[in-house]
Amino acid sequence: MTIFSFVKPYRIPIVAALCLMLVELAVELVQPLLMAKIIDDGIVAGDLDTVIKWGGVMLGLSFLAFASGITNSFIAAHAGQSFGYDLREKLFAKVQAFSFANFSSFPSSSLITRITNDVTQLQNTLFMSLRIAMRAPLLVIGGIVMAMLVNFKLAIAFFIIIPPLLLFLIWIMTKAAGLFKTVQKRLDKVNGVMRENLVGMRLIKAFARGNHEGTRFETANDNLRDKTVYALRVTEVTIPVLLLFMNLTIIAVLWFGKIEVQTGTASVGEVVAIVNYAARITNAFSMFSWIIMVLSRAKASAERVTDVLNEEIDLQDTAESRKENRITDGKIEFENVSFTFPNMSIPILQDLSFSIRAGETVAVLGATGAGKTSMFQLIPRLYDVTDGVVRIDGQDIKAMKLKRLREGIGYVPQEAMLFTGSIKENLAWGKEDATYEEMVEAAASAQIHETIMKLPNQYDTLLGQKGVNLSGGQKQRLSIARALIKNPKILLLDDSTSALDLNTEAKLLEALSKYKCTTVIITQKISTAKEADKILLLDDGTLIDSGDHDSLLKTSTLYQAIYQSQFGEVKAGC
Amino acid sequence: MLKKQKAKTSGKQRTSTSGLGKTILRIWSYLADHKSLMILVLLMVVASSALGLLGPFLIGWGIDEYFAAASTDGFIWLLVGLAAVYGLHSISLWLQSYWMIGIAQQTVYTMRKQLFTHFHKLPIDFFNKRQHGELMSRVTNDIENVSATLNSSVIQIFSSLLTLVGTLVVMIWLSPLLTLVTMIIVPLMFLGMKWITSRTGRLYKEQQRRLGEMNGYIEETISGQKIIKSFSQEPKVIEEFRVKNEQLKQSGYWAQTFTGFIPKLMNMLNNLSFTLVAAVGGYFALNGYVSIGTIVIFTEYSRQFTRPLNDLSNQFNTLLSAVAGADRVFDIIDTDEEAIDEKDAAALPDIKGKVEFKGVSFSYEKGGDTVSNLSFIAEPGQSVALVGPTGAGKSTIINLISRFYEPDSGIILIDDTDSRSITRRSLRMQMAFVLQDSFLFQGSIRDNIRYGRLDATDEEVEQAARAANAHSFITRMPAGYDTELSQDDAGISQGQKQLLSIARAILADPSILILDEATSSIDTITELKIQEALQKLLKGRTSFIIAHRLNTIKSADQIIVIDSGQIIEKGSHEELLEQKGFYHSLYTSQLEKKQLMNT
Repeated sequence: MTIFSFVKPYRIPIVAALCLMLVELAVELVQPLLMAKIIDDGIVAGDLDTVIKWGGVMLGLSFLAFASGITNSFIAAHAGQSFGYDLREKLFAKVQAFSFANFSSFPSSSLITRITNDVTQLQNTLFMSLRIAMRAPLLVIGGIVMAMLVNFKLAIAFFIIIPPLLLFLIWIMTKAAGLFKTVQKRLDKVNGVMRENLVGMRLIKAFARGNHEGTRFETANDNLRDKTVYALRVTEVTIPVLLLFMNLTIIAVLWFGKIEVQTGTASVGEVVAIVNYAARITNAFSMFSWIIMVLSRAKASAERVTDVLNEEIDLQDTAESRKENRITDGKIEFENVSFTFPNMSIPILQDLSFSIRAGETVAVLGATGAGKTSMFQLIPRLYDVTDGVVRIDGQDIKAMKLKRLREGIGYVPQEAMLFTGSIKENLAWGKEDATYEEMVEAAASAQIHETIMKLPNQYDTLLGQKGVNLSGGQKQRLSIARALIKNPKILLLDDSTSALDLNTEAKLLEALSKYKCTTVIITQKISTAKEADKILLLDDGTLIDSGDHDSLLKTSTLYQAIYQSQFGEVKAGC
Repeated sequence: MLKKQKAKTSGKQRTSTSGLGKTILRIWSYLADHKSLMILVLLMVVASSALGLLGPFLIGWGIDEYFAAASTDGFIWLLVGLAAVYGLHSISLWLQSYWMIGIAQQTVYTMRKQLFTHFHKLPIDFFNKRQHGELMSRVTNDIENVSATLNSSVIQIFSSLLTLVGTLVVMIWLSPLLTLVTMIIVPLMFLGMKWITSRTGRLYKEQQRRLGEMNGYIEETISGQKIIKSFSQEPKVIEEFRVKNEQLKQSGYWAQTFTGFIPKLMNMLNNLSFTLVAAVGGYFALNGYVSIGTIVIFTEYSRQFTRPLNDLSNQFNTLLSAVAGADRVFDIIDTDEEAIDEKDAAALPDIKGKVEFKGVSFSYEKGGDTVSNLSFIAEPGQSVALVGPTGAGKSTIINLISRFYEPDSGIILIDDTDSRSITRRSLRMQMAFVLQDSFLFQGSIRDNIRYGRLDATDEEVEQAARAANAHSFITRMPAGYDTELSQDDAGISQGQKQLLSIARAILADPSILILDEATSSIDTITELKIQEALQKLLKGRTSFIIAHRLNTIKSADQIIVIDSGQIIEKGSHEELLEQKGFYHSLYTSQLEKKQLMNT
């Protein structure tokens, strides 16, 4: 996919805008003739009527130019903005389809810059091209043609000088495009440091590391400035060089003109005319450095945008995913599942096999870093298994459309991620058309309803980004409510009650039991695990034991150790 | 008497909307910091303009001298002279842009730096209310607008103004009367410009605001991918994006269209002016007020006069968007800082660690207090546990001790000194935190631990990691301590992140230590293992611990029980059990569970 495919839908407005620009240009070229007429036939001849007549014509024409200019404004803005709109939308939709492996090849800050800054760059380029950029080349060509008509021999000078100058321009442009690509990369870096600082501001303030971060930012900022200065200075070399060579051409025309005049093959008037055209071409050329800059920036931005558009998405519906397949009961099976994070070498899960019956409640225990969360993320296919199969209700989850699969799963991640917006809106993530009653029900089950009712605007209370204005436990409960409102067949709770006190947690777990779904809970607490039908013990990416509380307490040394860490010695006879 | 300052009210935006001129002046003040270079640029503009005029003049003279007349003496010298003039012309052009780019980029650099530095001075509350992406947009999209304009427009404006003034002087000298006629368009021009800029100024600002909002939305949806994907909300998110995209397109469309009017309007007014001059001039000539020659030259000059006006108006487009961008940057720079340290605030170099709350009340929003009338003393070296239900105000107390917020009433004393008379920096330098959500930076594991003390050696980093029980998992990572953490934390678990945060705090070696749910995601076996290290860490420093697992706080010197923002119980574990109050019931309920398990 290239950028030009985004320009294509607007070829009619683009052609129209270019035509209107030609009208303006034509009027502009005729104007000197009219002015000459007004001066020669009118003022010099003392004929005021002629002045008024031709003045009227000129005003009429300039009104025509004005009208086409204004129309051009509308059309060019329409084409430019719509092009930018389409591009942004395509990019955003593409990014939404990214897998996490795709995300790891683009820093977030860079993706953001590409969707906004780079697209703006391209959009402005199109707008400017439609309005003025085409003038310069047209003026140059017009100038050369006119000069050739006047005196072909003298005009040859242009043919000698202009091709190398064009080559020079192309060379500068390629060089500058590369430089501007680096500039955009440096901008990404500045953006990245800025983002990290905004996200981690609390920690930075807490450790009083403002100065340290300042230095880090300064490095990125220095780099951006230096690269920008370099890129701009390279493009700005074009004007002086172009002007110098064009002016030297004028000197050459004068030199040969003098010889020609002496030999009588050219008239003085012709020399004067050609010098005049040379001056005009020179003027037009001075616009080139600006055009070069805009175009090379655009080239750099276009590449960055197409990089995103052409990124291959490695996790999506497969050929065998069928629309009608969906989660019906909630039986989960892992068969010899291994998993390694994309771009990492060390496996997180190895040869993991277990099965969970529909409607069961299963607790997953294991040391920090044992692979519990990774295992969870395989179920809604946030990541794909490296090896083995995950089955739900007996069928490979890849045989289900992603949307269908995820519809049936309520996933509550470890870090409660909420979005800017009201509590209501955040809950509606689980079910778009949820009624107020449904919300209250889910919130009540998640033990957050009472807290919400105490807030000034209750369910309409606005949350800041990531729910910053709530306490850790409140965020956790709200994200549990968000999952419950879905009425999922499978509920995945990833240590989602860690910030809750025991009483609240107990009430919550009790409320969960009335939901008819398979519940898998990652937990650290034996007290939570004890209530489960089955406990899976993970260690270092492998399943080392499973069973219920009592049997594990007898057979598993790891489970006994976890038990001891929370309750002291295992009582004899247990 | 200390002046009371509230962090939460200081986050408000600058209310006065500054006009176009004010913002331009402010941008100019940045350029003026490079006075000598700026003067050089100006000189070069003057030089290049003069040389640019000298060339054609020489050619005209040469044509009269050597072409009209057939003389050849010195013709070669004329050409050499011309070459020299053109050479100098190019050099002056090159120098002016060379210097100007330097000045412009330095200006933009300074603006970025100021923005960044200012972010660090803003109260934490400011960031709670804004999307990160929206704030980032000011660095990328807004400042980049300023950058684009400064690079090209300043020189253009200089040279246009120069030509304008020069031409005007010649015109007045030729005929004040006809100059007056030419000037008729000036008020019309101003009216037109005013009409257009009053719209575009607003539109550009709106465009930049919407671009910022969009940036914020993109950032949030990228950070929240896990939720978006697992809730299959992509269509909804894309739809919401479409709405924002549409709004951006609308304001962008009108802004561009209206600014597109400016050069067209100018062009038309120029032609009007030319025709007027010709007509009026012709009338005068017929009546013998002015000579025909004057009119001919004059019309030539009036064309000269309008060219720079045209150039100037072409610059308006970028200028307006730069002003809109700059305004948004200045908005942040002008936002009140985190309640600034009191004037007489001094650095407190060596904190012993006594922390005292005297009747402290505080609320995040106006209305009900989040915590009210808190009084307690933490002696140096004591460990203080904060216990209570979620949302009781435990984290708020931490926020107050670390001075992210200032109390609404009451005072906090550190080593018997009012904390407001201590600079925040010196206070925080002696504190270490393990916060609820452990934030790690992109970078190596080593650098992340070293964040606790920047001058720590590799051995010290390793020691801290060992103490936090993080060493074994770190060495199992592909590159050990040099493993780079990626942005989405792939390959590292939440519990491991907490272990790294603890290592970071251990390395910091602070006088006051704050552990806010520091071990919540760590499995209990590992927790037991690091408990010993934590006990060692707590020794000799004042510490505040929030934890839900009561057995981790049993050994605290003092336990403060909080409910609904108030201290309801205070004392050691044994004392509180004897009181048979809230703590007792909390503890026994956990104990009951335990006994239940044991039967």
